[in-house]
Amino acid sequence: MMSTSQAICVGWMEFEDTAAANAVRLQAEEAALAGLVDQYAGALYRVAFSVLRNAADAEDAVQEAFLRVLRHRDQLNEVRDHRVWLIRIVWNIVLDRKRRAKTRPETDDVSELARVLPSNGLSAEQVASAAQHHAQVLACVEQLPAKEREVLMLSAFEELSSVEIASVLGITESSVRSRLFRARNLMGGMLNHVRGNAREVEPSGRREETVAAAEEDRR
Amino acid sequence: MNFNSHNSMDRTGTGEDTLRLLAGLPAPEGLEARVHASLRTAPRQARVLAWPLVLRADAAWVRATAAAAIVMVVAGGGWGIYSKVQPLQQGKLPAVPARVSAPSGFSGAGMVSTPKTIEGPVVTAPPKSTPAKSVQKKSRKRSAASSVRTAPSAPASK
Repeated sequence: MMSTSQAICVGWMEFEDTAAANAVRLQAEEAALAGLVDQYAGALYRVAFSVLRNAADAEDAVQEAFLRVLRHRDQLNEVRDHRVWLIRIVWNIVLDRKRRAKTRPETDDVSELARVLPSNGLSAEQVASAAQHHAQVLACVEQLPAKEREVLMLSAFEELSSVEIASVLGITESSVRSRLFRARNLMGGMLNHVRGNAREVEPSGRREETVAAAEEDRR
Repeated sequence: MNFNSHNSMDRTGTGEDTLRLLAGLPAPEGLEARVHASLRTAPRQARVLAWPLVLRADAAWVRATAAAAIVMVVAGGGWGIYSKVQPLQQGKLPAVPARVSAPSGFSGAGMVSTPKTIEGPVVTAPPKSTPAKSVQKKSRKRSAASSVRTAPSAPASK
């Protein structure tokens, strides 16, 4: 009888130890999550913005990504490369959002592009010209097949190697290279075609509006 | 439009410089703080049952006790049902009289003899009631009226 009561007592003491250990573990996980936010929130925002091209949507996507991490924070220890893992999460979120959203990206507007993209040391006309060029490029990117487009967009992030891009997309590195090669060829062809057409018909009215918007933005 | 400036901007000719510019845009100020705030206000992991204590691996005796208790409950419930619902006993079956074979050696061909029962009450047939005289008179008048109506049609047939 005595031995039984001792065993129960020992058992409850074990429970208390477990609860304390759990509290410590939760605190450690939350501290690790906070560290991930500080370290990678900016990179995730840039990935999200490159796809959504809308600041508010990109920030929402980043927050959603970290909320997902919070829900699965007990798996943080099993992740080898947190950066690639987080980019993969936010990449899936932004692709899903873009698929569902029927709205036009904010930066499809040429004047908005001129405002958003950096233009150090350029005149107003050069800024407007560059903005039109960027708009053409982005329109061509949208026309690419999805697989090639995804690889091309991820390759724009210099901090991502082809191995990491393959890990984000869940494909092999050789597939990344071949898709990137196809994407570049397609983009080159499309841009040449667009420029050829633009030489024939130059929309002067629209360009003047863009120059005016760029000048206003500079002021 | 000066397209040479485009080519100077786009060294590769594939528009990748535009994508690099977009990819290199800085994150808005205070993004980390806003994410921290959203994580603080977010609901924690949802659970169907919120156990106050999480069992450790070395607390196996608790699991064994719980498993034994479950087995006891299931076995006790099963025994209770079995003991209440028992098969019919032999003594509660209705008695069937044994068949007696005919003395002549022939079989009864499955004939079942019915026992004689008490004779039931004999019901006599009710007496025939005579109809009232007034009813007889009315019926006579009706038959007379119908003969009068049918009379004119006789000459037409001639």
